Amino acid sequence: MNEQPTTAKPAKTLRKTPLGIRRRHVLVGAGAAAGGLAITRALGLHHLGDLPTIALPGQTQSPAPTGVDWVSPLDKPEAQVAHLLRRATFGATPSEYEQSVKDGFKKTVDRLIETPIAEPPPLAGADDATQEKPIRPQELISWWLDWMLRSPTPFGERMTFFWHGHFTSDFRKVNLQTPYIYWQNLTWRRMALGNFYGMLYQVTIDPGMLRYLDLGTSTGRAPNENYSRELMELFTMGVGTFTEDDVRNGAKALAGWREPLTQAMYDAQVKRAMEQGRQVPKNLKVDDVKTGVFEQQRAYVGGVKFLGLVKQWDTKGVLEQILAQDAVAPFIVTKILREFVTDQPSDAYVKRLADGFRKSRYDVKSLMRDVFMSPEFLAPASYRALVKSPTELMVHMARALETPALAKAIGVAGQGMGQLLFDPPEVGGWPSNASWISSNNVLERVNFAQVTLTGMPKIPPFKDAHVTHLDGVVSPATAQLLNSSPDDATRWLILLASPEFQLK
Amino acid sequence: MKELGGTNGLSRRDFLRNGLVFGVGAQALASGYAAVPDVFARAVLSAKSAQVQNDKVLVMIQLGGGNDGLQTVIPIGSSQYRDFRPQLSAAAAKAQPINKDIGLHENLKGIKKLYDEGKVAIVQGVGYPKPSFSHFDSIRVWETADPDRRQQDGWLGAAIAKNYDSLGHPLVGCACGTTSVPGMLRDLQATLTVVDDAKTFGFQGGQNVENVMGTLYKSTPGIYGALFDTAMTTARDTVAQLRTSAAKYTPKGNYSDKVNLVYSSKNQLAAALQLAAELIVTGTGVKVLHVTLGGFDTHYTELNRHDSLMNYLDAAISAFQDDLSGYGMADRVMIATWSEFGRRPKENASGGTDHGTASPVFLIGDGVKGGVYGETPNLAKLDQGGNLSYSVDFRAVYQEILTSHLAVDAKELLGQSFDRVPFVKTQA
Repeated sequence: MNEQPTTAKPAKTLRKTPLGIRRRHVLVGAGAAAGGLAITRALGLHHLGDLPTIALPGQTQSPAPTGVDWVSPLDKPEAQVAHLLRRATFGATPSEYEQSVKDGFKKTVDRLIETPIAEPPPLAGADDATQEKPIRPQELISWWLDWMLRSPTPFGERMTFFWHGHFTSDFRKVNLQTPYIYWQNLTWRRMALGNFYGMLYQVTIDPGMLRYLDLGTSTGRAPNENYSRELMELFTMGVGTFTEDDVRNGAKALAGWREPLTQAMYDAQVKRAMEQGRQVPKNLKVDDVKTGVFEQQRAYVGGVKFLGLVKQWDTKGVLEQILAQDAVAPFIVTKILREFVTDQPSDAYVKRLADGFRKSRYDVKSLMRDVFMSPEFLAPASYRALVKSPTELMVHMARALETPALAKAIGVAGQGMGQLLFDPPEVGGWPSNASWISSNNVLERVNFAQVTLTGMPKIPPFKDAHVTHLDGVVSPATAQLLNSSPDDATRWLILLASPEFQLK
Repeated sequence: MKELGGTNGLSRRDFLRNGLVFGVGAQALASGYAAVPDVFARAVLSAKSAQVQNDKVLVMIQLGGGNDGLQTVIPIGSSQYRDFRPQLSAAAAKAQPINKDIGLHENLKGIKKLYDEGKVAIVQGVGYPKPSFSHFDSIRVWETADPDRRQQDGWLGAAIAKNYDSLGHPLVGCACGTTSVPGMLRDLQATLTVVDDAKTFGFQGGQNVENVMGTLYKSTPGIYGALFDTAMTTARDTVAQLRTSAAKYTPKGNYSDKVNLVYSSKNQLAAALQLAAELIVTGTGVKVLHVTLGGFDTHYTELNRHDSLMNYLDAAISAFQDDLSGYGMADRVMIATWSEFGRRPKENASGGTDHGTASPVFLIGDGVKGGVYGETPNLAKLDQGGNLSYSVDFRAVYQEILTSHLAVDAKELLGQSFDRVPFVKTQA
C-alpha cells in the first residue's frame, strides 16, 4: 500500500458531539503499514512491533498486527481500575466501578484478593441426584451464572471459572445422575486461591474428575492412562516434558481410587434391585465422603520409575514428584498470564513470576497478587490484549445494564458462541483469545446484545457508559456511530456490540 | 470520495454498502473514510486472480478424540486381536467381512453398501513418524500436515489461500456445525466462515442492525482488529449466501440427529452434513468443508460408546451421499475422515483403550476408486510401547486429495512428495 492518506482529519461531528467524545479520546485508525507510521506517531498512537508467535496446544496463533494499536489510558487511575475489574471480575456495575475508583488500584486488588470467597446458595436437589432424579443441565448452568452475576466476591467466581477451564470436566461424561459435577464446582471455588499442591490433590480425588478422566476405574493390573497423561500434559507440566513411560508408570502409581456412593444413589440402587427382584450387592454401602475412596487391593504393588525416581508410590508422592519438576511453575504462570494479562507473555516475565510462585511454595493467592501488581499488567501493550470469553462478555453486559435476571438467557446463548458451561469442547478446556473470533461468534455476540436490549422493559440511561466500560477509548467507527445514535437504546447496542467491548 | 479510488477497491464496495446507515452519520462516515481507507480489515488478505480449477468439493470429517481403528476396520482373522481385547473383540463376530482378514464394524452398513458399489477407499495404517500421544499435539500435526510441529497454518487453509479467491466468497472454506475456525482451515490469508446452525445464522433486528454492525467493525485497531473486522464482513457475506441457498434447497437424503449417542448429544454431524450438502448443491462456490463428530476418546466402556458412534457416523454419511446423488452431484464431492490417532491394541481395566498410533482413513464418493490401500496392521509386530506401526504417511493421503481430487499443487503445500496412494479415479 503506497497510497498515503494525507491527513487523518476526523469527521466534523467528532469535535462537538452529543456524548462529547472528542478527538483525543478517539483512536483514529489511520495509516497503512508504511505510510501510516508517521501519522500514527504524529497522533501519539502506538505502533505494534512484530510479535513472536508461540505454539501452545489447542491455541490459535496470534493475529497479525495491523499497525495501529489502541491508545492506552492505563496511566490514569480510573482506567487502571476499570482494566482490573474487566479482567479480575466479570466486569463492574456502575456502583462497583465508582467504589473501586474511589479506593484506587492497590486497595481494589487487596479487596478482590483478600475477601474470603462467598459460597453460592445450594442448588436444590443436586446433592441427592440419582438416575431417577438427575440434575437438569440448564438449572445447573443458570445456578452458576446467577452467582457470577450476583456474588459479592466476583474475583472468586472469576478464579472458579478459570479453574473450571483448566481442571475441566463435562456434564456429559460425568453425567448428571450423580452430584459429582455440582460438587466439583463447589470444590473448585473453595480451593480457587489456595495452595496448588492441595489443589492438585483435591482435583485428583474429585469424584467428577475420577469419572471424567477415568482414574475411578483404573487398576494396578490394567491401568487406565487417561488421568496420568492429562495430569502432566494439561494440568501441570505441559506436552513434551515427560515420557510415555512416565504416563504408563504414573497410571500404575495413581491406580486404586473409586467414586463414592451417596445415600440417595444407594437408596435408588436398592430400590431398583428390589423392583427387578435382584439381590442387593453385598458390598454396596454408602460412602460418607464427597471425594474418591481409595482401595488398596486395586492399587499397584511394586516400585516403578516415575519422572526419574524409582519407588513404591502413593497419590501424594506422585503429586509431590510432579511439583518438584521445573516445568510446572512456568506452565501454570503462562496459562494464567494468557488469561489475565497478555496472549504473548515474554520469557522473562514468565520466569520472574514462576520463580515467585515456586518460592511461595505454589501459593495461588500470592501468584495472583504478583500478576495484578506486575508492571506488565498495566503496560500499554496489555491494554485490550485479551478477548472476553462468551461468559465474560455476557455477564459483563448484564452487569453493565444492571439486569441480574439474565442467567438463563446467558446459559442458552453460550452454546451458540461455543461456551456452554460445564461442557467444554475438549479435555483441554475452553479456547482463548483469538480462537473466540469467527464469523459465527461475532454474529452471535451481536445478536445477544440486540436481543437483550430488545427484551428489557426499561433501558438504563447511557450517561457516560463509554467511559465506565470503554475508558473513552473507541475507534472512529464506534465514535461515529455513538455520536449519531438517536437514543440510548441504540447507544447501548453500539457499545455492547462494539469490538472494544469484546476485549478486556 | 475521490481518495477512495486508488487506495482500496474493497473500501469503496464496503463503504457503498454501509454508508447509508444513518442520515447524518453517513455524511460523516464519508469524510471519515475518505481520509481513512479501509486497509486494516483486509490488510492481511490479498486478493488473487486464481480461478477455481475444477468443480470438485472436499468434505473433511474429524473423528475427534482418537478413533479406534481396530474397532472400525476389524482384524477378524487375527487371534492376537482376541488376546489383546477380551471384551472389545466381541465386535469381530458381528463385523461385515471385506476380505478374509478384515471386516467393517457391524453398524457401518451404509458405508459397506457404498464400499460394495466401489465408492469407498479404506487406507489402512495411516500415521506419521515419532507419533505424539497427546490429543492436541497430534491434532496439530494432522491439521498443519507437519509432524515437526513448525507450521501454524492449516493445510486446507493454506490450500485455499494459495489457490482460490476467497475474498468476498467466504464459503470457499466453511466449517459447519461448530462455532470456531477448525485448525485445518486456519490461515490468515484465507477468508473462512463458520456456521453453527444455518437456521439461526442471521442478524437479530434485521437489515438495519446488520448495516450498523458492518459500519461498527471497520478499521478496528489493535492486534485483534483485523480478525474482528474480517469475521464481521464474513458473517454478513455468509448471511447473504445462506439466504439465497436456503430457498433453493430441499434435502434428498434422510438426515436424523435423533440417534441416541451414549453420552454426547452435542454431536450434530447429520445437521452439519445437511448444511454442507445445501452449500454444495446450491452452487455457493464452496470447495472445502469441515465437520466434526466428537466422543472417540474411548478410555472406558468402549463397546457401547463406539457402537453408537459408528451408527451415527454411518447414518449421517449415508444421508449425505443419498442427498448428493439425488442432486446428481455425488461425483463432485469426496468425503475424507481423519482422527488424531488410533488406540492401543491392548484394552484397559475400564473396558476401553488408551491413546495409540496408526488408524484407517476413509475416502468416500463417486469419484473414489474403491478398495483397501496400505497394509493391514500387524498385531504380531507392535512397537516397544505396544502400538501399531504406520504403513502410510497421512500426508500421502493429503497429496492424493490435493493432486487428484482438487487438482492443486500438493508439493507446494506439503513441502515434499510421497508415494502415491491412488484412491482417486483417473478422469476418463
